[in-house]
Amino acid sequence: MCTCGDVRHGPEVRERRLAELRASRRTVLTAASGLAFSSAVAATAGSAAAGEAGRVKGAEDLRCYVLVVDGCRPDEIDSGLTPNLRALREQGMYWPRATSMPVMETIPNHVMMMTGVRPDRSGVPANAIYDRELGEVRTMDLPSDIKVPTVIERLNRRGLTTGTVLSKEYLVGIFGERATHRWEPELYIPVSEHAPDLLTYNALTSMVDELDPHLVFVNLGDIDRVGHTDITGTTLRVMRQAALLQTDTLVGQFIDSLKSSGRWEKSIVIVLADHSMDWSVPTNVISLQAPLEADPLLEGKFVIGDNGGADLVYWTGPARERERAIVRIREIAESTPGVLKAWDRRAPWLRLGPEAGDVVVFCQAGWRFSDPDPVTSNPIPGNHGHPATRAIPFFIGGGHPVVKAGKVSPKHARTVDVAPTIADFFGLRTGKRAYDGKSRL
Amino acid sequence: MTSIQRSPGQPEHASSEPARPGQALPRRTVLATGAVAATTVTAAGAALASSPARAADGTADRAGGTNTLGKREHRVFQHGVASGDPLPEAVLLWTRVTPTPEATPGSGRGGPVTVRWEVARDARFRKVVSSGRFRTSAARDHTVKLDAKGLRPETEYHYRFTALGQRSPVGRLRTAPGERATPRNLRFGVVSCSNLEAGFFTPYRALAARQDLHAILHLGDYLYEYPTGGYGMGQDNVVVRPHDPPHEMVSLEDYRRRHASYKLDPDLQALHARYSWILTWDDHEVTNDQWKAGAENHDESEGDYKKRRARAHRAYDEWMPVRMDGTARLDDGARLYRRLRFGDLAEISMLDLRTYRDEQAALPGVDATVSDPSRSITGKKQMAWLKESLTRGDHAPQWKVIGNPVMIAPVTFGDLPNDLIDPINDVTGILPADGAPYNVDQWDGYTADRREVLGHIRDHQVKDVLFVTGDIHSGWACELPLDTSTQPLYGDSYGVEFVCSSVTSNNLKDITGVPQASPLVETAILANNRHIKYLDFDSHGFSVLDITAARAQMDWYVIGDRADADTPITWSVSYETRAGTGRVTAVDTPLEG
Repeated sequence: MCTCGDVRHGPEVRERRLAELRASRRTVLTAASGLAFSSAVAATAGSAAAGEAGRVKGAEDLRCYVLVVDGCRPDEIDSGLTPNLRALREQGMYWPRATSMPVMETIPNHVMMMTGVRPDRSGVPANAIYDRELGEVRTMDLPSDIKVPTVIERLNRRGLTTGTVLSKEYLVGIFGERATHRWEPELYIPVSEHAPDLLTYNALTSMVDELDPHLVFVNLGDIDRVGHTDITGTTLRVMRQAALLQTDTLVGQFIDSLKSSGRWEKSIVIVLADHSMDWSVPTNVISLQAPLEADPLLEGKFVIGDNGGADLVYWTGPARERERAIVRIREIAESTPGVLKAWDRRAPWLRLGPEAGDVVVFCQAGWRFSDPDPVTSNPIPGNHGHPATRAIPFFIGGGHPVVKAGKVSPKHARTVDVAPTIADFFGLRTGKRAYDGKSRL
Repeated sequence: MTSIQRSPGQPEHASSEPARPGQALPRRTVLATGAVAATTVTAAGAALASSPARAADGTADRAGGTNTLGKREHRVFQHGVASGDPLPEAVLLWTRVTPTPEATPGSGRGGPVTVRWEVARDARFRKVVSSGRFRTSAARDHTVKLDAKGLRPETEYHYRFTALGQRSPVGRLRTAPGERATPRNLRFGVVSCSNLEAGFFTPYRALAARQDLHAILHLGDYLYEYPTGGYGMGQDNVVVRPHDPPHEMVSLEDYRRRHASYKLDPDLQALHARYSWILTWDDHEVTNDQWKAGAENHDESEGDYKKRRARAHRAYDEWMPVRMDGTARLDDGARLYRRLRFGDLAEISMLDLRTYRDEQAALPGVDATVSDPSRSITGKKQMAWLKESLTRGDHAPQWKVIGNPVMIAPVTFGDLPNDLIDPINDVTGILPADGAPYNVDQWDGYTADRREVLGHIRDHQVKDVLFVTGDIHSGWACELPLDTSTQPLYGDSYGVEFVCSSVTSNNLKDITGVPQASPLVETAILANNRHIKYLDFDSHGFSVLDITAARAQMDWYVIGDRADADTPITWSVSYETRAGTGRVTAVDTPLEG
């Protein structure tokens, strides 16, 4: 099942999550706009209360906004439907060679943006994993799923304030109480499980106007979600174009508001996507459950975590048979039509960590996985997670002098570069190995 | 290239009366008499093949010819100097020495010679940064080929050779940027299909005069195998300059002599001396329409094909500034496909689409063979290598430039006038008589391979793939759809292809003799192929490709009369592809020099 909008967790997980929320200290601020923001107790008295000793000289006057245009393809910025995004790109710094990182899904790439490290360090390789401890496939939406500090927490410790405005329920879940100020939507669209961009935009502008965090991390979900809500695929193109137009308009309004409020000159605006988007047709569905189950070695001893364009296969049998099983799983997967490649999860380039299981199977462009059930698990055509959805837009606008207008770089920019870029902008000292990504400033 | 035009009844080994050595006549004077017969040889052309080289600026003897005492004597460095395959810290250097007048190319005569080489930061060689000695002999046709190492990335150098008391002309080269460098731009001269007998190498002269290039890309058909008059200029195969030897090249001596005769051309010498070249071969470096076990222009009377090819490859390795099998050494393999990286901005993957390909499908008529997945134009190993070039992990450069000897863009057709189909085929090989939509000698004849490459690009969402192509004697700018039928609707394009025209080899109007027919054909092709944005069937010339992180732009320049050594050079059109788009759009102005 593509888990973009499907939040799954059993009773034990819910209990843990509740415990995490109870343990946090927070208060709810109702902004003049009527929107409610959750804020850390310490922060309500102002950022000066926190981390005074670690304050970075000059950082107080800086602002950074990370706008994740969820699921946007880089070519869509050139489509004519996004004049504001394109103008921001052309007047800022632009990396044409930019990609999402495996698995090309929403949660792991948002986590990479804020941690600056790959999943083998962050602990978040995919949207859906098989939790060996719980014995079930679940969505990675727990604050405790992230094993390393985020740049959000680093800024907080330096006395700077942070905000998250995340349109998707599972992103709200996994980033939890980390930011100084959080918008937690009260309304999610059924099926897509996201808040529409108009609401997200209102939350963003309200948070900026009234709480003015130094860093705001924003997810705009509409463009991605139209790929998931129309299971027939017939209205997809029109819906997507409408979403592009709408989101672009909101981004334009946000930039205008930064300029009119005087924030523009001290700001950078990082715009990127978490992954690209691909569309499958109804006949191009891969289900590995049955062929793996039919193998005597594997029967009853594996679990699949379906991530739309990527299946994570977990060996649950005896450890002594693991290596043989991995070989068999890869053989069967790669002989299945529509499969691009089945990787041993330990392949160095993947860097996914043990949470991603034993074999990572990617589909070809135009296909999708539907596991365990070939019909009901993943009926939607819009899809990502596989290499055909790697390319993303990535550019940095803003009026701060660090933004070199019109600069285009051939360097390979990645989602994992966002945290080190933010750290660099705010002057945080960073050890050589602290991040897997690189500052793009 | 698929086909040639021979005059009816013309013998395979037609020859002519060459001018005597040293008979240097003003070329334009002779050419003013016009081309009069299929085997007409201009005196100037004959003189060129055997007289001292003329410098690009028109002055004589720039290539040397004086000893250290200033006395005229036998010229040791007659064939110029060249460099190639630039790396960040090494560039391949080439020359040929002629130790005695008798030690002519291919002759096997002449003793061993020690040649000193130097690379310097300055033209006066006061700041020599690398030097050494190279021993050559008749066993390698007295060619010199070595890797000059220890150079600095993205730096201009001068180089020269010294032997037997004489110095070679001075060449210039530019090293590639360091592996992770981000050069502001890369600029290449782009050429293909340079047939000595069909005209003067004016495009080479024009490129040599530019000061803004980083290297030259030659996409194949650097020389032609035909006998004198076998494939000349226009319908009558006029020989503007004669080939040496006058017969078709078949033996090792033939191949060596033919290479040598091309290397005597002053414009070619000037361009080799001015810039490093990056070359691949197409078919004519061996023989027409070659494939892995044979060729259209090879029969049993010419012996075993693979032995002939081995001889051609041997001569190519001796005479060309390329690293075959990754080295400057001879006899260590004939693998020509290779990658050259230019920092994080671009990597050029040069393909060899002749040595490993299966035989072309039959013509004419629709032949299901073209889509047989067991057939290949690349061969399995090269295909895996090409796919790796496109998806090389996180540290691959932005632009994936493919040096592509034959066109990859699909070309389909609607109705074309019947009397134009044969002439078009003579130039392009595109159209079987029934108008079936493929050219069996290019990727259209190996559709499974094309699908594998474009599918790989799609499956990995590879951006900024740019095929730079020669072979077809015409200029094209194309997008690369997987499905031409849906491309106009959905705009899917998995890369871009820019095709340069021929330096001199015949194009459509040369063969039809009816220039006014070409626009009709071009219009029909453009109308039936919405992914093709530009097509010029009638011009000769060269292109200039400029790559930045934001876009890749190609300018097409055309020349006037091929038979006029001083013919004018004119900018024709420019097209670009913006980064990340896979689209082609027209540009109003050429690149600034």
